[in-house]
Amino acid sequence: MSMRSQIYEWNGLAPSSSTGNFTSANAGRATSIFIGGFGNNITKPAETTATEFVVIEDIACTPTLPATSTAATLSANYRGQLEGFTPGNGLLGPRAFVQVRINTTDYFLDPDNVANDGIPGSASPYPRSLDFQPSFNLYPDVYVLPGQVWDILFTGYNAGSWGTTTGADLYAFTKYTLYDGPDALIANKLLEMGISINPGNVDWYKRSLLSAQGM
Amino acid sequence: MSMRSQVYEWSNLASSGNSTLRRTTSDVPVTIPADREIDIFIGGYGNNITKPAETTATQFIVIEDIACSPWLGGSVQIRINTTDYFQNPDVTRQRGIPGLASPYPRGSPSSVGVAGTALDYSVDNLLKSFDLYPDVYVLPGQVFQILYSINSAMNGTTTEVVAAFVKYTLYDGPDALIANKLLELGVTINPNNVDWYKRSLIEQQTRAAMAPANGGA
Repeated sequence: MSMRSQIYEWNGLAPSSSTGNFTSANAGRATSIFIGGFGNNITKPAETTATEFVVIEDIACTPTLPATSTAATLSANYRGQLEGFTPGNGLLGPRAFVQVRINTTDYFLDPDNVANDGIPGSASPYPRSLDFQPSFNLYPDVYVLPGQVWDILFTGYNAGSWGTTTGADLYAFTKYTLYDGPDALIANKLLEMGISINPGNVDWYKRSLLSAQGM
Repeated sequence: MSMRSQVYEWSNLASSGNSTLRRTTSDVPVTIPADREIDIFIGGYGNNITKPAETTATQFIVIEDIACSPWLGGSVQIRINTTDYFQNPDVTRQRGIPGLASPYPRGSPSSVGVAGTALDYSVDNLLKSFDLYPDVYVLPGQVFQILYSINSAMNGTTTEVVAAFVKYTLYDGPDALIANKLLELGVTINPNNVDWYKRSLIEQQTRAAMAPANGGA
């Protein structure tokens, strides 16, 4: 299993209080979904070893729906928003974004070349529903080369929409493919050749090698 | 990372005055005038950036999608230098793509309001009727704007929040040169075709290197 499809889902609500809930005090701060200290976390930063190659294929987070400045409660039409949000500051939802960081470089930039908050949840919602469908597709994919550290940063601005102590169902999601061992070497080779790295092309390269050997 | 998928999201939310450079937790809705085209980058309303959106001599941008909030008759137009992209059949100006045709977020309702103190959306889910194909190219050295406009005035007491969205791919450095070459060749510029051109170059160099060794000398 040297090519493996992987996902990571982050929820702002801490599992069994092993880390803290992502509360309104964290609003406006870019927080790592891996080691940020809130919600579910992992034991160390996400990084590739010398024999690994990661291709990030999708990122998404909790969406937000524009509303009006004065609405204080929800009408019957709840619009599929996840539980725990209340209208506030003209929005229904956390006004959340997700950014990809490779080593120290942010991937998504504004047109003035200044790093921004990343992809809005409204453009790449998680979970997807009839009410929230994606406008964004992460293509070309993002490559994490061997030895690099990578991170997914979650930022939510609409603090009033989720709890001060209890938090709410804030989600971030990433889907990536992990190439390990010989397949990571092939991934590097494909990168040199200017060929997109995906399981189909890695298999094609293997078949080419076998054909060259007369098999 | 010389080909990068990028997005820009604008909304009429600002912390002080009418516009802000960085999003903050204290942003509130600001009223935008009806029947006026607002540049979502430097238009002076909502979140803005530091300078007009433009490509340097080593950049090439391909705009792949634009969308906006469907309520209040919202529309988005693309302007390259001083030329509007979307025109009426009589070659006169128009507002651009209606949010009803290209809604943001996808699946959003067609209207929003307040009933008493409660937030009140229409019960529909809008899907896109419009696909920006062929894509729009911003060549090196060009300035581009995304212009948002509404044709119904905002409610003075319950200011509606509106948003606009653009998705584009930024080609930088050698990939921007390749994008220019593809444009000359009449080939569509997308990551696949840029990769195809790179592979062609590598194959040519490999053949050239092999030729003397194969008896060319």
